[in-house]
Amino acid sequence: MSQVISSLGFGIVTASILLPAAVGFTLQFSTTNVLNIAFGAQMTFAAFIAYLCTQHGVPLWPAMVIAGVFGALSSGLLNRLLLAPFQRRGTSFFGMIVVTIALALVIEYVVEIIWGPSSVSYPLQGGKAVHIGSMIFSQEQLIVIGVGVVIALCTHALLRYTRIGKAMRAVAANPALAKSSGIRAQRVTDFAWAASGLMAGMAGVMLGISVSSVSYTMGDTFLIEIIAAAVLGGVGQVYGAMVGALVIGVLLEESAIVLSGAYAPIAAFAVLILVLMVRPTGLFAGTAKVKGIA
Amino acid sequence: MDYYVTILALYIVVAVVACWGLNLQFGEAGVLNFAYILFVAAGAYTTSILTLGHPSPGGLQEYFWGTNLPWPLPWLASAVVGGVLGIGIGAVSLRRLRGDYQAMVLLVISILGTYLVSAKVSLLNGATGLSQIPAPFQGVLHLGIIGYRLFYLGLSVVAALVVFEILRRIQRAPLGRLLRAMRENEAAASAVGHNVVALRLLVMGVGGAIAALAGAIQVQFIGAWAPSSWTYPETFGLFAAVIVGGRGNLGGVALGAFLVQGVFLEGTVLFPNIANPNLVGASQWISLGALILIFLWFRPQGVLPERRRVFGRQPAPGLLDPASIIGPVEGVSV
Repeated sequence: MSQVISSLGFGIVTASILLPAAVGFTLQFSTTNVLNIAFGAQMTFAAFIAYLCTQHGVPLWPAMVIAGVFGALSSGLLNRLLLAPFQRRGTSFFGMIVVTIALALVIEYVVEIIWGPSSVSYPLQGGKAVHIGSMIFSQEQLIVIGVGVVIALCTHALLRYTRIGKAMRAVAANPALAKSSGIRAQRVTDFAWAASGLMAGMAGVMLGISVSSVSYTMGDTFLIEIIAAAVLGGVGQVYGAMVGALVIGVLLEESAIVLSGAYAPIAAFAVLILVLMVRPTGLFAGTAKVKGIA
Repeated sequence: MDYYVTILALYIVVAVVACWGLNLQFGEAGVLNFAYILFVAAGAYTTSILTLGHPSPGGLQEYFWGTNLPWPLPWLASAVVGGVLGIGIGAVSLRRLRGDYQAMVLLVISILGTYLVSAKVSLLNGATGLSQIPAPFQGVLHLGIIGYRLFYLGLSVVAALVVFEILRRIQRAPLGRLLRAMRENEAAASAVGHNVVALRLLVMGVGGAIAALAGAIQVQFIGAWAPSSWTYPETFGLFAAVIVGGRGNLGGVALGAFLVQGVFLEGTVLFPNIANPNLVGASQWISLGALILIFLWFRPQGVLPERRRVFGRQPAPGLLDPASIIGPVEGVSV
């Protein structure tokens, strides 16, 4: 039993990294209708930017903020310079997926050329471990969880109470109607890409802290878990992605107890596929529509 | 030099066959199978198991069952396994899900496959992979290395020609028209009474069989197969070849496979290493990504675009004919 609880601790940490990632992924998808396979590569790039900062004496947490800002700016630029022009040309939905795949290849291997194929790690203090029941967290892990919770709350506030957040929801629900009622689509799209880049950047650094290594394939591997969380919650459903992140994060760690470690990811993805068999639109599509979150 | 040329030639034949199968799914029918490399792997593993013989206890490698069948049975069995797997995975992923979900679920399935094979060592020797897979007739024929390679190349070209003929017939048949109709407008195709789910399962099956055949040809040539040979970015390399060559055009796809898989990915490996080998690998992938972007921007239809198919004599413009009312159905560019 105590093993279940201590794994729950790891699960919560994984979920708090998955949360900003899945929310960023799905938020951008719902507003712009581009399925961004390069999201993992963006995470990796930002994580290395944070590494670069720590190499130059910037403490880890400010470096994380810098990585987030870098992620937001680069993501906004990528949209303006590459993805938006393709969309304006009428590239199909699947064509856009292929574009982001190509983009992911380019980013990932540029990172490999700059920082090399071997993994690096952030300078971690270690510090005193904190015991909560039989869950053990390092101080960095606690902060990672905190950042995850703060991002969740901020996203909620953004979508509920700000003009741009409401505009994003409107564009996601019905782009044509949103446009004709005077919402500036370009601004909303830019904002969505920037927000998703910010979350990719933060999540990249959080992942680097949590697994205490940063490598050029890191985001690529993690992307599958992000996709699993987003799909589980219902693609484009921000609150669904939050629940999806929690479920997938905890499942990944808990299944390691029952099965041997190598099988843990298999269990989590198998659950995803089973859920989709029963509920092809993910967990939250229905309720989200009713509540007007979609 | 002959040594490299024969290797490269075989890689290209394998890539052409694999890209043709992908073209049936993606180019003709519009099914975005992000798990395509899984079917290549299924074929490679099937052929390995069917040629390696019974695993010896305490031997070098572990795998289940194992027997030793003469050529071409392993290749045919691989195609059957690939086809059945295609229909099975299609039934799981393509029946109820929306298009964007389908693509993502297939990607997840592809990765699940690598995890599963790596984790369960007793199945297919885990992450280390299988090796010493025998090549057909190698003991019987007394040919030199190059001579045998040319012989094997001949076998694979024959297989490629069979695949080509099957695909050409599908393309020209009413079935081909149906697939393209589904690609262009799925709702319309299903509204006029075609079962689009059955069509999708069919291309998953046939395409999967072709992918598996490509894997079978490849594995008996290189003699080894491991999860690192079929990570999911490999699928994107094949997609790149289909896009660059021209989706929907068999000749174009073959050209794309030659350019991307042959010259671009394999060919650069044979060049002398200018800097460190890592840099070569990375710049290869970067230029592959750039190549896809450049083609999608400047020539989305590929080097050799799909031919616009016109049936019968074209009526004079202005005359009342069904096509002028409902608009062109065939060969509409995407």
